[in-house]
Amino acid sequence: MPELYLRLLNRILTPVLLLLALFLLIRGHNLPGGGFIAGLMAASAFQLQILSRGHVIVRRTIGPYLNSSIGLGLALAVLAGITGLLDGSFFQGVWFSLSLPLLGYLKLGTPIIFDLGVFLVVVSFATSYLLGLSRVSATGERLRDDSASPVLSDDSSLDSPDLRVETGRGANS
Amino acid sequence: MLAASVILIFISGVILFWLRPHERSWAGWLSALPPLAVTFWQVTASLPLLAGSDAAAHGDSGLLQNGTIIAEQYRWIETLGLELSFRLDGLSLLFGLVISGIGAAVALYTHYYLENDDRQGYFYLTLFSFMASMLGLVWADNLLTLFVFWEGTSVTSYLLIGYSHQSAVARGGARNAFIVTAGGGLALIAGMILLGQQSGTYTISEIVTRPGLTELDLYPAILVLILVGAFTKSAQFPFHWWLPGAMAAPTPASAYLHSATMVKAGIYLLARLHPALSGHSMWMWALLSFGGITMLVGAVTAVRHWDMKALLAYATVSQLGVLTTLLAFRSEAALLAVVVGILSHALYKGPLFLVAGIVDHATGVRDLRKLAGLRRSLPVTTWVAILAALSMAGIPPLFGFVSKEALLESFFTSAEHGALAGWIAFGAAAVAGAFFVTYSLTLIWEAFLRPSSTIEAGTPLEEGGVPVEETHVHHAPPPLFVAAPLLLVACGTVAPLALAYLDALFAPAAASIAGAPVHKHVALWHGFSPVFLISLLAIAAGVWLFLKRSLLRRTLAALPDGLRGVVVFQNILDGVYAMGQITARFSQGYTLATQAAIVFLAAFVPVAFALRQIELADILPWNDVMPGAPETILILMLVVSAYVTVRIRTSLGAIVSLGVVGVSVTLFYVFFSAPDLALTQLLIEVLTVVLLVIVFTKLPPDIRPPMRKLKQTRNVLVALAAGAFGFFLVLFNTSEAMQAAQSISGFFLSNAVPRGHGSNVVNVILVDFRAFDTMGEITVLALAALGGYALLHAPRVNLPSSLSRRREPEHAERQSVHPPVESELASTESPAKASET
Repeated sequence: MPELYLRLLNRILTPVLLLLALFLLIRGHNLPGGGFIAGLMAASAFQLQILSRGHVIVRRTIGPYLNSSIGLGLALAVLAGITGLLDGSFFQGVWFSLSLPLLGYLKLGTPIIFDLGVFLVVVSFATSYLLGLSRVSATGERLRDDSASPVLSDDSSLDSPDLRVETGRGANS
Repeated sequence: MLAASVILIFISGVILFWLRPHERSWAGWLSALPPLAVTFWQVTASLPLLAGSDAAAHGDSGLLQNGTIIAEQYRWIETLGLELSFRLDGLSLLFGLVISGIGAAVALYTHYYLENDDRQGYFYLTLFSFMASMLGLVWADNLLTLFVFWEGTSVTSYLLIGYSHQSAVARGGARNAFIVTAGGGLALIAGMILLGQQSGTYTISEIVTRPGLTELDLYPAILVLILVGAFTKSAQFPFHWWLPGAMAAPTPASAYLHSATMVKAGIYLLARLHPALSGHSMWMWALLSFGGITMLVGAVTAVRHWDMKALLAYATVSQLGVLTTLLAFRSEAALLAVVVGILSHALYKGPLFLVAGIVDHATGVRDLRKLAGLRRSLPVTTWVAILAALSMAGIPPLFGFVSKEALLESFFTSAEHGALAGWIAFGAAAVAGAFFVTYSLTLIWEAFLRPSSTIEAGTPLEEGGVPVEETHVHHAPPPLFVAAPLLLVACGTVAPLALAYLDALFAPAAASIAGAPVHKHVALWHGFSPVFLISLLAIAAGVWLFLKRSLLRRTLAALPDGLRGVVVFQNILDGVYAMGQITARFSQGYTLATQAAIVFLAAFVPVAFALRQIELADILPWNDVMPGAPETILILMLVVSAYVTVRIRTSLGAIVSLGVVGVSVTLFYVFFSAPDLALTQLLIEVLTVVLLVIVFTKLPPDIRPPMRKLKQTRNVLVALAAGAFGFFLVLFNTSEAMQAAQSISGFFLSNAVPRGHGSNVVNVILVDFRAFDTMGEITVLALAALGGYALLHAPRVNLPSSLSRRREPEHAERQSVHPPVESELASTESPAKASET
C-alpha cells in the first residue's frame, strides 16, 4: 500500500508536472525545453502515478494509448517532413504567421509539429518501459515470496564459459 | 487524368471501407462504378487516336500507331531526379482496360462472394489499393515510378492473400508470395538503376528509343536482374510455385490479381522493355528456355490437382510461360500473339476463377472428386464455365482459339525460317496445347457435367464418402453474383467476331512492344495450314489424355515431393532459420557484460590508433583552460561517487551513488551553460534512479558466487578503456588542430533565428537543421518501445529460467550439449526447432 504522503504529493504534483511538460514543449523553440525534455517531464509525472497508485491502475488508464501514441508521434513527425516536401525538400521548415486577437502574434511551423511528434514518442516510450518494468519487478517480488529461486547454480557441466547465460540480476535488468 | 484516375480508384477504396459495404445491398454496384468510369474514360480518350492509328497503319506513315495518347508529369523529388510521370500508349491502354474492366466485374462479384463478412470493407480497400497500384504500374513512364507501383502491387497482394489471417495456409501462402515477389523486386530495382545509369535516363519512353543498349558491357547484368524481377512477379519457373500457394486468397483476389492482372506485371515489364533489350541472343534464349519450361511444367502439373483453384493456378502459370516464350521473339506475329494472349487469357481465366468461387460459395466444395452434376443446379454458371473452359482449351471459334492460332503460327513461321528456337517453341506449345485441352475438359466434366462423382481407383478420398449423383447446393447464387463472370465470358465469346474492331487496340499495343508500327492483323481463320492441323492434333491428343486422366494423375502423384518448389523453398527457409540460430549463438549468446566489452573495446581501438599517430602534447589543454575551484569540486564528487558505486555492497547504495554521478555531470552542464542538456540529463537521472530502486529492491537477493578474478580484471580494463575513449575524444575535439578546422557551430548560431525561426539553438538543431537525425532517433525509440513491450510482457519474464530448468532432466542428454543456449532458444519456438522435436 503506497504511503499517504506519496498519494498526497501525487495529487498536487502530477498536474503541475504535466503542465510544466506542456510549458516546456511550447516554449522549447526559443527557450530551454522542447519535445525531448517535455516528454521526459511528462513521463516522470506518470512515474509518480505508478509509484503512488500502482502500475495496474495506471496501466488501465493510459496503457491502451501508449502504443498508438508512439505511432501517432511518428506519423506527426513524418507529416511535418512531408509538408516540407511541398515547399522544396523533405523536412524543409514551413512557417505560418498568425495574428490572433487575444494571444497576439503567433508563429507556427512544421518544426513545432515535428517537436510534438518527438514529445509523443518520448513520453510513450518512457512510460511504456516504466509500466513494463514495474510489472516485472512486481513479479520478481512474488517470486521471492514463493521462495522459488530463479537463479542458476553455477553448473560445472558448461563446457565453454562464454556460452553461459547470466541470469538473476543481469538477465532481467 | 492518368494520375487522377489512380487517385480516384484509391479514394474509392477508402470510401468503400468507411461505407461498411457488407451492410448495404447496393455496395456491389457502387464499387463497380469507379473502375467502370476509368474504363470508359480510357476508351473515350483513346478512341479518336486509335481510329486514326488504324487508318495510318493501313496507309504507309503509321506514326500514330506507336505514339503517345496522353502523357503527364508531376514534380516529385527533384534533387534525386525523381518525377512522377505517366504515359498512355497502345500497350498501357490494353493493360489499363484489362485492369479497370475486369476490376469492375470483380468489384461487383466481391460484394456477393463476401456477403455477411464484416471485413468486406477491408477487402475492398486492399483490392482498390491494388487496382490503383496496378494502373500506376502500367501507366508509369519512369522506371522508378514504375518500381514504386510494382512494390505497391506486391504489398497489396500479400494483404489480399493473407485476408483469412486466421488460417495458417493463407498466412504461409502470403508470406511465400511476398518473399518471392519482394525479393525479385530487389533484383529489379538494382537492374533498373543499372539500366537508368547506363542509358542516362530513367524515362522509359526515352530508354526504348535509345540504340545500342544490348552492346553495353553491363547488359548481361541488367538483363539478369530485370529478368529475375519479372520472372518472380510473373511466376516463371523456378519461382512458379508461389502462385498456387497464393490461391489461399479469397476467389475475387485470385481471379483478379493472380490470373488477370498482377502476374502479368512481369510480362508487361518484359514487353515494355522489349524494344530496348530484346536484340540479343541472351534475351531470346533466357525467355525461351524459362518460358518454355514454365509452360510445360504448369500445363502438366495442372492435371494433377483436385482443387479447382489449384488447377486454374497451374493453368495460369502455363499461360504465363506461353507469353514469356512469345516475348523471346521479335517478329510482328509473335508480339501480336502476346497482345491477343493477354486479353483472351484475362477473358477466360478470370471468369473460370469466378465460377470456381461461385461453386465454392454454393456447395462449400472445390474438390473435383466431390463435385458432380452441377449443370442441373447451377445452369447459368455451367454455361459460363463451359464457354470459358472451351476458350481455354482453344476450341474454334472461341477467343482462346484465336490466341492459340496466333501463337502457334508465329512459332511456326519462325521455325520455317530455320530457327532452332522456333522449333523448340512450337513443339513445347503444341504439347502444352494438348494439356490445355485435357485440364479444360477435366474441369467442366468432373464438376458440372458428369452424372455422379466417382472415387477414382487408387486415390483415397479422405472422407471415404459414397459417390453422389449431384452435389448438394445449399446456397443458390443470386443472379448478380453470376453476372460478373457471365459478362466477361460474353465479351470473350463475342471478341472473335469483332476482331476487325479490336485490331485498333491490338495493333498499337503490339507496336509499343515492337517499338515500331505493326502491319500484321489477327484473324480467326487462317485456312488449312500445317498450323491448323497441328492444332487439331493437339486437341485430339488432349481428349485422349482426358480419357486417360486417372493414369496421368497417378503417375504425377508418384513424383517425389522434393521436386515441388514449395518444399524446396521451405527447406531453404528452414536453413536460413537454422543459420540465424547458429549466428545468434555466436554473436548474442554471450553475457551482457561480455557483449558490452566487445562494443566498448571496438570503440576504443580507433582512439588508441589515433593516439599513436598524434603527439600527446598537441592535444593536451593549455594552462588557461585548467579547471577552477567549482569544477575541481565537481570532479572530486564524480570520482568519489563513481568509486563508491563500484565498491559498495548493497544495491540501494550503488543506485544512489550512481545517481550522484549523474547529478554531478548535470552540474557540469549547468556550469558550462547548457540548460537543455542539463534538464534532459537531470530528468533521465531521476527516472533511472527511481526505476532502479523499484526494480532492484524487489528482485530476489543475489546469491551468485563472487566473480572470478579474470573476469573482474577484464571488466576493470574495459571500464578504463571506455573512460579513456571519452576523455581523449573530448581532447581531440578541443585541440588546436580541431578548433582551426571549420566548425559547423557558427552556421547553427548565426542561422537559428533567421532561418530556423527559433532562438533556442539546441532545439532548432534538433527539430529543423538535423530533423532527419531526430527522426531516426525517435524511430529507434519507437522500435525499442515495441521491443521492450514484447520482452517485458513475454511469459518468459514472468517465469525466469527456473521453470525451464526444472524440465531439464527429461532432456538431459540433448541439453547437455549446449545447455543454456538451448533453453533460451526453446522458448522462441522457431520453426526449425519445432520440426526437430
